[in-house]
Amino acid sequence: MKVGIYFCNCGSNIAEKISSAAVVEAAASFPEHPSVKIVDFICSEDGKLQFEESLKLEQPDRVVVAACSPRDHEATFRRCLTNAGMNPYLMQMVNIREQIAWVTEDPAAATEKAIAAIRGAVCRVRLQEPLEKKQLEVCPDALVIGAGPAGMKAALSLADAGRSVVLVERTPFIGGLPVRFEDLFPAMECAPCMLEPLMGDLLHGGHAEKIELMTMAELVEVTGFYGNFIAKIRRKPRHVSLHECIGCGECVEACPATTRNEFNSNASERKAIDFAFTGVLPNVPFLMEDVCIRANGEECRACKDACPMGEDVVNLDEVETIVERTIGSIIIATGAGLYDASRVIGMGMGTLPDVYDALQFERLLSSTGPSGGEIVTSEGIAPSSVAIVHCVGSLDEDHKPYCSGICCQYAFKFNHLITAKLPEVSITHYHRELVVPGKEAHALLRHATGHKNTSLKRYSNIKDLAVTHDNSGRLQVVDATGDVTSVDMVILCPAVIPAEGVDKLSALLDVSRDSFGFFQELHGRLDAAQSTLKGIYLAGACQEPMDIRSAMLEGMASVGHTLAGLQPGRMIEIEPATAEVDETRCAGCRLCVSVCPYHAITFDSEHNASHINAVLCRGCGTCVTACPAGAITGHHFTNEQIMAEMEGVLK
Amino acid sequence: MTAVADFEPKIIGFLCNWCSYAGADKAGGMQETYPPNVSIIRVMCSGRVDPQFVLSAFEKGADGVIILACHPGDCHYKEGNCRALQRHGMLNMMLEQLGVEKARCRLDYVSAGEGEKFSRVIREIVETVRALGPLLVVPDHNSEILSTE
Repeated sequence: MKVGIYFCNCGSNIAEKISSAAVVEAAASFPEHPSVKIVDFICSEDGKLQFEESLKLEQPDRVVVAACSPRDHEATFRRCLTNAGMNPYLMQMVNIREQIAWVTEDPAAATEKAIAAIRGAVCRVRLQEPLEKKQLEVCPDALVIGAGPAGMKAALSLADAGRSVVLVERTPFIGGLPVRFEDLFPAMECAPCMLEPLMGDLLHGGHAEKIELMTMAELVEVTGFYGNFIAKIRRKPRHVSLHECIGCGECVEACPATTRNEFNSNASERKAIDFAFTGVLPNVPFLMEDVCIRANGEECRACKDACPMGEDVVNLDEVETIVERTIGSIIIATGAGLYDASRVIGMGMGTLPDVYDALQFERLLSSTGPSGGEIVTSEGIAPSSVAIVHCVGSLDEDHKPYCSGICCQYAFKFNHLITAKLPEVSITHYHRELVVPGKEAHALLRHATGHKNTSLKRYSNIKDLAVTHDNSGRLQVVDATGDVTSVDMVILCPAVIPAEGVDKLSALLDVSRDSFGFFQELHGRLDAAQSTLKGIYLAGACQEPMDIRSAMLEGMASVGHTLAGLQPGRMIEIEPATAEVDETRCAGCRLCVSVCPYHAITFDSEHNASHINAVLCRGCGTCVTACPAGAITGHHFTNEQIMAEMEGVLK
Repeated sequence: MTAVADFEPKIIGFLCNWCSYAGADKAGGMQETYPPNVSIIRVMCSGRVDPQFVLSAFEKGADGVIILACHPGDCHYKEGNCRALQRHGMLNMMLEQLGVEKARCRLDYVSAGEGEKFSRVIREIVETVRALGPLLVVPDHNSEILSTE
């Protein structure tokens, strides 16, 4: 076997410490008696050309490049091999610059260490095999789960790029949480007005035909892998056609059955067939089967008869269906919810009237909410004093140790909205910390602190606070000093937590979550929009508490990954330095299945052997080490190659 | 066991590609000099380090082995460093039974930014192994490892 060593002087960087002459001399006694070529700067344009020409001329079977770190230039030199007609995996680099020349004081010691390392590389490279990148056809389309800010942004941008999108939304409407709010921090924009153009684009815009919106739907099964997922989606019956209904509301008028409206925090009533709330998009009612009097076996078709658009718009016989779609990637945008404030003892949540969590209060503020936007107590009168308690369950080891990040800002937004509507009201903020980052948020804080009747009180432990009532039944907040503030309304800012149902979703997608239940990023800083599974991306508050701005950006980030990763007509390349099971040696213990961090290994019970999906495998090699039967080969890092390198170094 | 004068230990360092190997490169970039006794073998993940590599290193003439991984929670492959830690615990027990001092096989964590820590860890292992003296391996017919008396 002909092995060629290319020794780079790197100007004086390497040459100053490592004697190339000594390397040439030593190489004569290496296995295969490799030739050594000295190059001044092998990574320079001239150097690469020289390297490629030499490879073409000499036609070595294996190549060792002794130069800088492979983290710098392994890819560069692999390309040179390819250009010279060689398989790129037949090269081994030796890091004689960063890890020898630059860190060894004595030139003789550096030279000796370099010679050992190069000998190790020669021993290793002899065993390296040509590897080929496999190619796979892929579906460029995407599934987006959740039609809140992040999901809508992602779906729209993918559609703009010409991709087909399946947008699955659990509720009957789009817009997520903020569409239920009145105004938004930091600039006090009207929430529905801000989101309306986005929602309109999604439903009727230039690329809307690319987006298949499924409301009242949820993912029930996903098979396959990156590039070729098959998703099964359960569509609950809405009983009203999304496409034919004009939203006139005649059916609502006619409906005889009523219930509490969960989308108004149960603070108002709705009909069995009704809109989720006023102004909702799609502007189409939905029928709650369990509330409809037909559920009791009674005959009723009042809604159907009232519909001016024809017989087929209201369909009382519609049933649940399961639909199947093929997609290449999945974007999780399931958003956030609020921690149950009744779990924080002493806050009065659920036990005292006029104690609201932030979402309930948002609906109270909203002009489409139960009180039409009027701030009134349960007795129907305007409060003269309000307490806002921050950090309810956040920054609290007994509940959620993290800061929820957005609460201070919306608390001061509440302050702004309350004082605008009730100028004489007094407001007391009880806060543990104050978090108002960024260039805009301070304005609301300043507005609050500048208000004549607003005061801020800091507490160190929420256990020191108690929301109670006095003898007359009026609410009061007692703090650690025993100071009592009488109020008419208490607004709690609970910790932001992942939305309901993420446990089910993470189980069916096999995507990891962190210790708080949020979806785990592939890397918290480098790859925050990727999940731990290839082709499944994260957008918005499903990965941590975040505001709308961040959620929209995350939506775009996930789109970036989707567009860059899967392109119509382009196959994806599968990295060959992955692991492979020799079925004839596999004993079926499945240890590999349990150690693989990427769920790339499945057990094939028919053949009683594990199988590694090369698309999902990232080549870490932990299964190779775990396999007690030695049945798994880690290509390009085989046991034999690693041992040969080690022996060569130690010789 | 006695330390031999002028003894220069041979040590094999298994470094994961993403953190510790990058940390070693960082030490290079900072021109942080350290003793030349540790020869580095790059693996993609510390979870790839097979206990048999370590045993084999001792058998083939290494006086010490150091496995460097990403910090807990920072593993590029999520949890390979946890596997490395588990296997290192097992190796310790095996080495003890074979009469090889545990200190000859160290596991530590070096991030890509910790050039200084890398050179410190290297200096420490070299000093530790130098103090322990050479590891004499007497291969019997089962190729077992025996330490010097």
